[in-house]
Amino acid sequence: MLGEKTGKWTMDQAPQYAIDHVANSPKNLFEFEALDSLSQKISSFFGINSDSLFYIDLGITKHVFLLFFVSLITVSTLVALIQKYISNKNNIPSKFMSIIEMFVIYLRDDVLKNFIGDKEYRSWAPLVYTIFFFILFSNLLGLVPIFDLFGLVGKLSHIDSIYIFSKGGNTVTANVNVTFAIATITFFAFIFAGIKKYGFIQHWKNLAPSGLPWPLYFVVVPIEFMGLFIRPLALTLRLAGNMMGGHIALIIFITFIFSATAEIGGFAGLGIAPFSVSLALGLTMLELLVAVIQAYVFALLTAVFIGMAIHVDH
Amino acid sequence: MNLILTPTFGISFLFLEENAKGVNPLLTPELGTYVWSLIIFLTVLLVLKKFAWNPLLNFLDEREKEIASSLEMAESAKTDLEKIKEESEKILNDAKNEGKAIVNDSKSKAEESAAKILEDAKAKSNEFLDEAKSKIEIEKKRAIKEIKEEVVSLSLDLATKVLQRNINDDDNKKFVKSSLETMKADEAK
Repeated sequence: MLGEKTGKWTMDQAPQYAIDHVANSPKNLFEFEALDSLSQKISSFFGINSDSLFYIDLGITKHVFLLFFVSLITVSTLVALIQKYISNKNNIPSKFMSIIEMFVIYLRDDVLKNFIGDKEYRSWAPLVYTIFFFILFSNLLGLVPIFDLFGLVGKLSHIDSIYIFSKGGNTVTANVNVTFAIATITFFAFIFAGIKKYGFIQHWKNLAPSGLPWPLYFVVVPIEFMGLFIRPLALTLRLAGNMMGGHIALIIFITFIFSATAEIGGFAGLGIAPFSVSLALGLTMLELLVAVIQAYVFALLTAVFIGMAIHVDH
Repeated sequence: MNLILTPTFGISFLFLEENAKGVNPLLTPELGTYVWSLIIFLTVLLVLKKFAWNPLLNFLDEREKEIASSLEMAESAKTDLEKIKEESEKILNDAKNEGKAIVNDSKSKAEESAAKILEDAKAKSNEFLDEAKSKIEIEKKRAIKEIKEEVVSLSLDLATKVLQRNINDDDNKKFVKSSLETMKADEAK
């Protein structure tokens, strides 16, 4: 993208190019007047002007567009498959459905029942399942280079409305704001779980173990309180960092070809191509694994935090 | 608002690459994206909860219950079958034994009755024999008596003829009488 601006690729552009691939698009994809005025109204309600870093811009950026896309795919795939599976009670599940069923049963038996409990797990299962599958679909969809293809088609055909889709990251879960939003829901979920079980006051009392000598509480309470906020922050940065890092490495491996071509010559680029493509291929395989693992970790930790709030035994 | 949010995203200022707003593009706080994420995720959560997870979990529970109950049923059917098998074997054995007993019983009864019949027959034949014997004896006695009487009359005739005289006198009468008595006495013997 920057190469397009300056006209010629140089080696120094590689990091910025990789970052641009992961970061959100700077401009809104669609210019919706209504959303812009809504953004301004909400922001001015909180006293934030449009120059501020925290201006609430509700415009559709690439990541917001991708969020809609991912949620549409997640919902339609899961609802269609599950409804089909349930309505044909005698049928064996399709291949894809049996994979989903495997995840669902595994999460239910080894995560939900284990950490939340045999009785309470039903009320938290939808949240944990949604977190797992939403993140899994986002991660996997981020690995599919649909928008790079759009960019290629847009550039070759000189249609800006298609080309604009290649600007900005492909992976919504590499955006800290998205992962922070999901972590926020986890945060409120485990606080709500504790309050629902023990009542408002007892839940906050549960934060620190009882029966300690009183001076220790001056240390324990701040630590536990910090831990409360560190949990969602760790969730946010773990997922976003993993997705970001994998994609940056993937792009850097690919840019080896262009850098070698620019610095040494066309044959050098051709020579390094098999090396960097096989590296990128291997990393993509690794990213497939990471996509599942990170979705699992997020769902697991959500279940663990909810379980910790419900079963207070320090 | 900035006072609260700046520390939260403050970590982003540690990075050197900065964009137009002076922040690392990888860690830019985009509150719009954050708000959209919340809205979209919660919508997805609600839709999936209603149309995917709750039906699927109910379905799985139901299926597991069904499997457990059918396993139980199979188990009970198995034990039932075993019981029935045992029972039928018992019945078969009983029937065999009973048959044997009946056969044995009837055999002994038959033997008994055969023996009895034989005995009866023997007794009857003995009876017949005895009767026949006694009849023969009587007949014999009668025949002997008849023969004696005949002999007497014959001898009387013969004597009359031989003597050619009437046996009206006393001597003759005495003689005849005594000889008759001796005959009677012989007969009585």
